[in-house]
Amino acid sequence: MLPLTSLGKSGFFPVFIMASFGLTLLAGLLGTVLPSLDYLPVIGHTRFSWSPWQEFLSYPGIFSSIRVTLISGITASASAVGLSVFWACCAHGSRTWRLFEKALSPLLSIPHAAFAIGFGFLIAPSGWLVRMVSPGITGFSSPPDWILLNDPYGLSLAAALVIKEIPFLVMVMISAMGQLDMEKTLLAGRALGYKKEQIWLKILIPRLYPHIRLSVFAVIAYSFSVVDMALILGPGSPPALAVQILKWFNDPDLSLKLVAACGSLFLFALVGAGIGAAFLMEKILGFFLAPWVVNGRRRSILTRLKPLFLLPGLGIMGITGAATLLLVIWSFARQWQFPEVLPASWSLKFWTTGLVSCFYPFVTTLLTGMAAALLGLVLTIGCLEHGAGAKRKGTRNLNTPVFYFLYLPLLVPQISFMAGIQLVLVVVNLDGSWITLLWSHLIFVLPYLFMVLQTTYLSYDQRFWDQALLLKRSYFPALFRIKLPMLVRPVLFSFAIGFSVSVAQYIPTMVVGAGRFSTLTTEAVSMASGSDRRALAVYALLQQALPMIIYALALITPKILYYNRKGMQV
Amino acid sequence: MCLELENLHIQKQGTSLFDPVNLVIAPGEIATLMGPSGCGKSTLLSAVSGSLDPVFTLTGKIRLNGREITSLPMEDRNIGILFQEDLLFPHMDIGSNLAFALRENIPGPERRALVGRALESAGLEGFEKRDPSSLSGGQKARVSLLRSLLARPGALLMDEPFSRLDQTLKAVIRTFVFSRIEEMNIPALLVTHDPADCPGGGRIINLDKG
Repeated sequence: MLPLTSLGKSGFFPVFIMASFGLTLLAGLLGTVLPSLDYLPVIGHTRFSWSPWQEFLSYPGIFSSIRVTLISGITASASAVGLSVFWACCAHGSRTWRLFEKALSPLLSIPHAAFAIGFGFLIAPSGWLVRMVSPGITGFSSPPDWILLNDPYGLSLAAALVIKEIPFLVMVMISAMGQLDMEKTLLAGRALGYKKEQIWLKILIPRLYPHIRLSVFAVIAYSFSVVDMALILGPGSPPALAVQILKWFNDPDLSLKLVAACGSLFLFALVGAGIGAAFLMEKILGFFLAPWVVNGRRRSILTRLKPLFLLPGLGIMGITGAATLLLVIWSFARQWQFPEVLPASWSLKFWTTGLVSCFYPFVTTLLTGMAAALLGLVLTIGCLEHGAGAKRKGTRNLNTPVFYFLYLPLLVPQISFMAGIQLVLVVVNLDGSWITLLWSHLIFVLPYLFMVLQTTYLSYDQRFWDQALLLKRSYFPALFRIKLPMLVRPVLFSFAIGFSVSVAQYIPTMVVGAGRFSTLTTEAVSMASGSDRRALAVYALLQQALPMIIYALALITPKILYYNRKGMQV
Repeated sequence: MCLELENLHIQKQGTSLFDPVNLVIAPGEIATLMGPSGCGKSTLLSAVSGSLDPVFTLTGKIRLNGREITSLPMEDRNIGILFQEDLLFPHMDIGSNLAFALRENIPGPERRALVGRALESAGLEGFEKRDPSSLSGGQKARVSLLRSLLARPGALLMDEPFSRLDQTLKAVIRTFVFSRIEEMNIPALLVTHDPADCPGGGRIINLDKG
């Protein structure tokens, strides 16, 4: 039972999160390691052996799969990190930067799958880009047989990943900037005669990097192990390793689950190596660039290349906007032949059929997202209250270890971890229930909620809290009548982030849901292979619209609640 | 070798902050801008340093050693600034913080020697590898000044540089800073609200409301 006097005194929330996350991770590990050694009693394998590994390594096309994963994963994560850094160096403080800052929330709220579908419509041989220049420049009257989409090296996948990852890294950088005295540092550097871009490279990036390091690792893990985007944009056969693992896992031949476990461990090792390489690279660069930092050179080549590095930000906004617009056009199209730039005739048909058929997945998506975000919010506020209380009384703050537990699921390939959990759930007879599905979403929702809410929540003016306690004389009224209403804006905003993270989940729904639950995401991804583009566009738009509506509500609600309170406006 | 302000005039939405300022600061001289907070003295300083907020409009001329610098970007003015805070880069050791200020054309071995000598002159011999946060307030203030001067600025601006130090330290650091400016023989402009900060015999400018 929770102590009713104070959430702050209680270590319940942090301990609960650590215990449950620890157990889940342990289950994921057991459910992967044991089957990879041929031990899975539910399908009658009880004697340890290396045979799953032999089968894994001799599976046709396995090395091509590994190659695709390595090429697309390394290209995507290295370019995303590099471009975010150079873009920040060149653009920070400019008008483009401020525009990008405003566009961040909508950019981040777009689910990966919906973006991948729109991006595919844009770059496919029969897509908008080719149509724009056909037949005028190219002379094509039918789509060229170029392999622009689903290319064998996963480069179109890498490109889409980069576009999705840069806004995430920029968001993390912006929140880290809040903790540094950016403006003062820039002034101090300029007073010593340094150009702005050079101060960024020599001083600010080395100071910012430790704050974004974990997010860089998460980007690496994500790029190596993404499944939904790889199904839509990656090569078909052999596919990326993560996609191959899902195929094995869902194969009617149950013994392939053992091979899937080997694949999971192998992918886990690849991600580990990727993260290790990033860590090593940071140390090596730090060592070799130390003399360059103090060599006195005040001008930077970046100053001259500046216009070039403004492009990534503009490009991301432009491409994402175009991809969304294309989804809208396709969803209303009736007849749209190559190389027409716009459809010849329009129709509402796909919306009417789509809106009817999407009812069930829509409700599942909405309920799961709401429940995961709400539960996540309760756990996060519980933890932060504990942190605030501990800070106040000088007692032990359990939130420091909690943070590492929360971040772990983001550093492990999702498919590896979820497949292992699902096998354990089958063993304990808990598979395929909505509660386990909810939990699998919550694992990925919680870290983002924590990241977003932490800073604002802990900087709440303590004097208001003292007043609230003095006047209300007990904890919960003070919390619910004073503190949370004052923090309504960040609380609702983090709720919207949590919701959008849940909506975007593909692997947890597919694997832990055991095929019993379909969401807008799983439907859109399965329709992406071969369904009618117009029906697909409707689903992708619905998937994209849902989190955006919640974001909009989260922004508008505080304005309505406090329309006559000037002190609550920003 | 002097800093000249000619008819310097700052307006915000058509309203003057103070009467036009005419001032010539000779090498080695420390002029002091005095006045209560809000009188525009910090704004005047930021106009000279090149960091004036664009809500203000500036007319008049600023010259350093005869070269007009009125519209140059801050980093091209060759003017050093001593801030209220020490602003030492917390992730670099003291030696690197100082070497960062040295000009590019100074070769490697000489760089180390210059940093070493600078530290020695401030009674901080052998502090190269020290973490800035392990230094006392007075030591940080001295390193901060050393860093500004190692960039060989043509003039030095000081924005309430002593206001964060406690009373006993203030006098010591003041003497240190003023003697360094005299040694370097560069013009300096000090902004303060504390009459005790003014160097003995230096010129004091009170900004009049226009």
